[in-house]
Amino acid sequence: MSSLQWWCSAQNVAWSWSWRAYPGVWLFMMVLVSLFVSLLQHSRRLGVGPAIRQRRTWAGWLGLLLVWVALDWPVGALGGGYLASLHMTQFLLLAMIAPPLILLGLPAEAMRDLAPEGALGNVLRRLTHPGMALVAFNVMMFATHLPVVSDALMPSQLGSFVVDALWLGGGLLYWWPIVGPGVPRTHFTAPLRIGYLFVTMMFMTAPGAMITFAELPLFATYELAPRIGQISALGDQRLAGLLMKIGGAVITWIGISIIFYHWQVEENRLLQRDLAKVRRVEG
Amino acid sequence: MSATIRWRRATLYVQVLVLTACSIEAPAADARSYRGTVLAEPVPRIDFTLTDTRGERFSFREQTDSSLTLLFFGYTHCPDVCPVHMANLAAVLERFPYDVRSRVKVVFVTTDPQRDTPERIRSWLDGFAPSFIGLHAPLDEVNRIQQQLRLPVAGAGQTRPDGAYDVGHAASILAFPPAGPARVAYPFGTRQADWQHDLPLLLRAR
Repeated sequence: MSSLQWWCSAQNVAWSWSWRAYPGVWLFMMVLVSLFVSLLQHSRRLGVGPAIRQRRTWAGWLGLLLVWVALDWPVGALGGGYLASLHMTQFLLLAMIAPPLILLGLPAEAMRDLAPEGALGNVLRRLTHPGMALVAFNVMMFATHLPVVSDALMPSQLGSFVVDALWLGGGLLYWWPIVGPGVPRTHFTAPLRIGYLFVTMMFMTAPGAMITFAELPLFATYELAPRIGQISALGDQRLAGLLMKIGGAVITWIGISIIFYHWQVEENRLLQRDLAKVRRVEG
Repeated sequence: MSATIRWRRATLYVQVLVLTACSIEAPAADARSYRGTVLAEPVPRIDFTLTDTRGERFSFREQTDSSLTLLFFGYTHCPDVCPVHMANLAAVLERFPYDVRSRVKVVFVTTDPQRDTPERIRSWLDGFAPSFIGLHAPLDEVNRIQQQLRLPVAGAGQTRPDGAYDVGHAASILAFPPAGPARVAYPFGTRQADWQHDLPLLLRAR
């Protein structure tokens, strides 16, 4: 039996379905939940109606639940050192699914009220600019899926924590221009947002294809890990590549569909308003 | 120049050409070419006879001398090193054409004869490749062979409450080229890409 770990990482010991505690994950989740609850309380103090709060809050809690699922036993442990496919599932949960839900759940009024001013505010505004967020997310995605980087980081708990934090942080940054609370979208219009998501989906194709079609296992961490079940190292890697490609595409198309739907609703509303104006003038 | 001299010169050119062609086709791999660990001293292909999974006597030198032989000592309950080594070898060998594969023999000798019955070894090896050869013998005999091969001897660890135990054993695979001593060993951590690179070199090694 290996000693207590604070974060899931590759340990090169046989997998066991016996539950294991990861105190670092709990602490991390406690920090996230505390921040979220503080924002909700601040929002309540600002007097935002409960109906609006509740509608948004469920998405935030669901996002946090998915972060916890991705980081803790068993998904975190299996993805940290045994199965590349579970590692990719963690990526999808932490960078592609949980962040938009968390951002949807953040109370916009409280965020605006607590938004930092001055230099820090400027840095945050620049970081969440669509161009910067797009570049940062894609660089992070490419870098963390390079075998040399992954194999260097995953065997240590700190390295594994850095990968998970980069995925979650990069995901929040990436989704901020799309669903960030109270973000004015006067310049970042619906067609641009659709293009923003589409570009990333295309970028995701490259590492996805590299991982899927490689003739040999690329990641030493998962190739040399004790096997689980009958899946081979190469089969597991191919599944990971397909998850990245197909999972990433499905999430992106859901995002695009939602943006398109809201765009059409808004266009329709404006059209109806203009028609009403014309009718009033004609009447 | 006489016809005899011209003939001799021509045959000499042909011989040089043939020798050059041979050396291009099959260059001897020097130590730096291998991705495995090159041994300080070659390990001779010793002779020992154990029982295979069909219950028949298996003479190591006699039955493997003409093949590239990858010899590994492990046990089927091994949670990490043994299944990873076997799985990686099986996956890489599958990628080579039959005429190459058929010149490679993977020999697995159990270091846990108490639990590794011939049937269990066969079933475990079949999970990787049916062509893998499984051998068993009393642990004393296996350890004597390991000592001759300059490998650390195997020994069972403490028995856990559920009756299970681990067996400490050498984690390296010894590679004996056809008719030659082992010059390269492959420790745990050897990747499929390393095997893919080294197997053709080992097949050509003398």
